[in-house]
Amino acid sequence: MKKYLNIFKATLINELQYVSDIVLGFLSFLIKIFIFLQLWNYLYDDPSSLIAGFSKDQMIWYVIMTEMIWYSTRNKTLVNQVTDDIKSGGIAYTLNKPYSYLIYIITKNFGEISIKFIIYMILAIVTGFIFVGPIDFNIINLPFIIIVFLLSFIINAIIRLIISMLSFYIEDSTPFHWLYDKMIIVLGIIFPIEVFPLFLQPILKFTPIYVITYGPAKLVIDFCINSFITIIIVQIIYLIITSILLTLMYRKGVRKLNVNGG
Amino acid sequence: MNNVIEVKNLSKTFKVKVKEKGFIGSLKSIIKPKYKTIKAVNNISFNVEKGEIIAFIGPNGAGKSTTIKMLTGILYNNKGSISVMGIDPTKKRKKLAYEIGTVFGQKEQLWTHLTPYDNFKFFGAIYDIPEYVVEKKIKEFIEIFELSEFINTPVRNLSLGQRIRCEIVASLIHEPKILFLDEPTIGLDPVVKENIRTLIKRMNKEYKTTIFLTSHDVGDIEKLCKRVIIINKGEIVLDDSMENLKYHYLNKKIIEVKMKEKVNLDDKDGITILKDKGYNLKLEVDIKKTSISEALKLIDSDKIIDINISNVPLESIITNIYKGEK
Repeated sequence: MKKYLNIFKATLINELQYVSDIVLGFLSFLIKIFIFLQLWNYLYDDPSSLIAGFSKDQMIWYVIMTEMIWYSTRNKTLVNQVTDDIKSGGIAYTLNKPYSYLIYIITKNFGEISIKFIIYMILAIVTGFIFVGPIDFNIINLPFIIIVFLLSFIINAIIRLIISMLSFYIEDSTPFHWLYDKMIIVLGIIFPIEVFPLFLQPILKFTPIYVITYGPAKLVIDFCINSFITIIIVQIIYLIITSILLTLMYRKGVRKLNVNGG
Repeated sequence: MNNVIEVKNLSKTFKVKVKEKGFIGSLKSIIKPKYKTIKAVNNISFNVEKGEIIAFIGPNGAGKSTTIKMLTGILYNNKGSISVMGIDPTKKRKKLAYEIGTVFGQKEQLWTHLTPYDNFKFFGAIYDIPEYVVEKKIKEFIEIFELSEFINTPVRNLSLGQRIRCEIVASLIHEPKILFLDEPTIGLDPVVKENIRTLIKRMNKEYKTTIFLTSHDVGDIEKLCKRVIIINKGEIVLDDSMENLKYHYLNKKIIEVKMKEKVNLDDKDGITILKDKGYNLKLEVDIKKTSISEALKLIDSDKIIDINISNVPLESIITNIYKGEK
């Protein structure tokens, strides 16, 4: 375990050099939040009314939370580096090192996104307070929410890795990353699941957006212990299934790997 | 029985997709892809003893790197058995990792944004070495490999020679019993090359590390190795000691003469004229058939300006073996 802590530390230190790059992303974050603020201001003509069970403030906080998750988890390591490692055969060179490549990549990813997450969290809270004002939030719920966020990030990383593992079999896995991106943006960021037509809702609850964006954001704006339990059970199921799938794909992929330049 | 590496009947084939020419060919290959199998390594067997420095050489595409990759657990073999330190590399990779070190000249394993010092600490942690041991090791290596000048410069800012030295150190942190070097001196200048060779020799002497080396640089092989395995087209064509290799092929001498006047010579039994440019002559003498003095008798000694008698260089010996001539 200590070795992964070292990897985490090493990437964290490295990432500190790029804090200014993270700050540049603020602009697009703020523009998006502003657009949704206008949209919901327009849709809620009466500020006290509810849409799909959400008040206007909750709706905007929901978008702020999902955008925060989106911005802080986007990371090229899981997409570009893994794809490159597979395509160039570089992944093979990690095989004879005494660590697991998959855990190494996930650890590295966390080293990279943790600073991003902290910065975006501060920005999100500040933005929320300025544009909307505080929502009903009980600090006692915080530990539960942290667990759900952490699992959300882990599952997201695993799904990204599964998509990148496709590079073992096909020329280019980026179209699948693109599809996943769009799914998260369209279904998981803009509206809570309750806003979608009734027949779609059960389907959406089976998609990754439920465990990655909807679940954590929903718990921030409207915590209840029952929904926490449901979300965490689904997350654990997701975690188990995706981990197994990832391990199988990796093992199978590595076996058929040809390293160029032999 | 002091073998640290045992390879028996090892084979490796690759499947390569074959595409026909043009657009139609591309369409065909989508519907019904055709594959061609390439034998990269074909039924090779050899052993390496503890403490040996062995050169594993061959022309491009001969299967050297493929073999080294199978020995280090990077590639899976199709047939045959490998045992490195008594471990099957494909089955117990992680266990093997603690026993061997690898340096691939064309592939960096250091983290480029970290300094060598942080890299070494990092590698130490990966191999579960206690921190105080790593510190001690680093201090030792700084001295041996003369790293003090750039130990705190990020790896991406180092020159190639400095980087390679750090790569070797990084692969030695966990005190491997065998060190695999795949073209460690590629792209280096003669001074740095010499430097690295000395270091490799020292590692071998002081730590009894077995060295398994591939290189295209004849100097590396000549100065470091006592034994040579030559592989060509996936098969071992020669497995012999350096001395034998030289002795066996050194029954030929090259005589280069510069003359005052133009001379005309004819081929004689055992003497071949390689070059005849009037004033400059180059002769190859087969000393099994004739002697140097016989050859010199052909030349009028009063008219010689300069003369040079030399062995056939190792480089051309190896080239001939690659080409399949004996």
